[in-house]
Amino acid sequence: MTPRTQLYADALMALKLWRVWTFLGVQDIKARFRRSFIGPLWILLNLGFFVGGAGFVYGVMFGQPMGEFLPFLITGFVIWGFLLSSLVEAGTAFVVSEGYIKQFSYPKQIYLLRALVSYSINMAIGLVAVIIMQVAFRNIGIDGWLMALPGMALLIIAALGHIVISAYVGTKFRDLPFALGGILQVVFFVTPIMFPIDILRAKGIDFVYRYNPLYYLIDIVRRPILERGLPPVENYAMAALYVLLVWVVAVAIARRLDNRVVFLL
Amino acid sequence: MSEFAIELDDVGIRFQGERNSGGLKDWLIGRLPGRQPAPSTYCVDALRHVNLKIKSGERVGLIGLNGAGKSTLLKVMAKIYPPTSGRVVVRGHICPMFEFATGFEMNQSGRDNIRIRGLLLGMSPPEIEEKLPEIAEFTELGEFLDYPVRTYSAGMFVRLAFAVSTSINPEILLIDEVMGAGDIKFADKAKRRMYEFMEQGKILVFASHAQTLLESFCKRTIWLDAGSIRMDGATSEVLECYSRTNVPTT
Repeated sequence: MTPRTQLYADALMALKLWRVWTFLGVQDIKARFRRSFIGPLWILLNLGFFVGGAGFVYGVMFGQPMGEFLPFLITGFVIWGFLLSSLVEAGTAFVVSEGYIKQFSYPKQIYLLRALVSYSINMAIGLVAVIIMQVAFRNIGIDGWLMALPGMALLIIAALGHIVISAYVGTKFRDLPFALGGILQVVFFVTPIMFPIDILRAKGIDFVYRYNPLYYLIDIVRRPILERGLPPVENYAMAALYVLLVWVVAVAIARRLDNRVVFLL
Repeated sequence: MSEFAIELDDVGIRFQGERNSGGLKDWLIGRLPGRQPAPSTYCVDALRHVNLKIKSGERVGLIGLNGAGKSTLLKVMAKIYPPTSGRVVVRGHICPMFEFATGFEMNQSGRDNIRIRGLLLGMSPPEIEEKLPEIAEFTELGEFLDYPVRTYSAGMFVRLAFAVSTSINPEILLIDEVMGAGDIKFADKAKRRMYEFMEQGKILVFASHAQTLLESFCKRTIWLDAGSIRMDGATSEVLECYSRTNVPTT
């Protein structure tokens, strides 16, 4: 087998080992909250603090009706957290699994899927906060959540692509998570999470979101959940285009570094 | 019975890297025009032109001085190190027993670590649950199994890892000198379990400095010297030559 086909064979085998990586991913969540008293409730509580503070100030500042703005803010923030993990935290996905990679024979891609599982569970807990808020504002609809599923699928595929890139590159360049963390802090403030796109449009600076691929990824999940309707097709198209691009880069990087990862750990 | 096999065809492993961190800084400096730092890369051939075939039913010993490449060779067979040259074919489920000190989730309980290790060694979840009582019993860790493993002593880690590794049904068993496990009481028990376990493997590759062990387990022994196979043959002959060459200096 050439190294290249070996990579694909490994990736395929890793997917088949779903029992292993889902278990590891769930264990990661359990481990994170093991020694805390209220456990995953902290995620909800922290979101509550954030929305209570930032939501109030920004809502008033941008003259938004709270009933719409708070769910908007919290949904965007939860999805953002997921994307952030897939780029920053994922930079250490191989590094933290070193003890396993050097000792067991399974393809190392299972540790990327493990990361995806644990980030996804985190997001799911955050989305519970959205549901709670929607119930509180009495505008919850199961139809909206169902319409969010195609967007969610694209979001997760994109996140896995991020994880592949970040984990491989992050193993070689340990500075990566720090650098990305800083950059993404800036991106957070220019991505429509704390403010709706209407404000950008009104000020004539809509290029801020138009050329931001993360906006489309967030929008195709957030909008159906909140507005109970599908976003325009072009938003899906832009998100899909971005996913494609991410995966082209991801495969190129994986092919280059796959054989070297174990030696770089 | 020819379904299990290990074949190495002209395999080489070359460790390459930068002496210092090899991170962003060095990469950037390397790209700067004009300023070329002193070459700081290293290149070690851990294995060179290794050719060998191990068939189903064979028990093979590995011997050699420290740094001769025994562990590297085992990691190649376990598909952990991809060969930098040559070709490796391994048919059969691999059970590596390399180190018992790493690969734990420190904040998880002993029981959860048993589950994780079991999964990574190829057991299915129902199989693990079925064997869990027996594994727990063997570790003699009792109530400590419900404690997070970060509270464990070094010996307790070894007990746990050893008990899980030896509870699976091995096809290809790769062992890297792991005999010194636990206290006196455990070591004796572990030895017996280990011997039974080694009998079960359809293929056994066993790196050790303990010549008596190699003699009792392996018909064939491979002597590695500086990354190459120096000798490959009947255990008694290989051990004799090895001892003659490497006379301990007093």
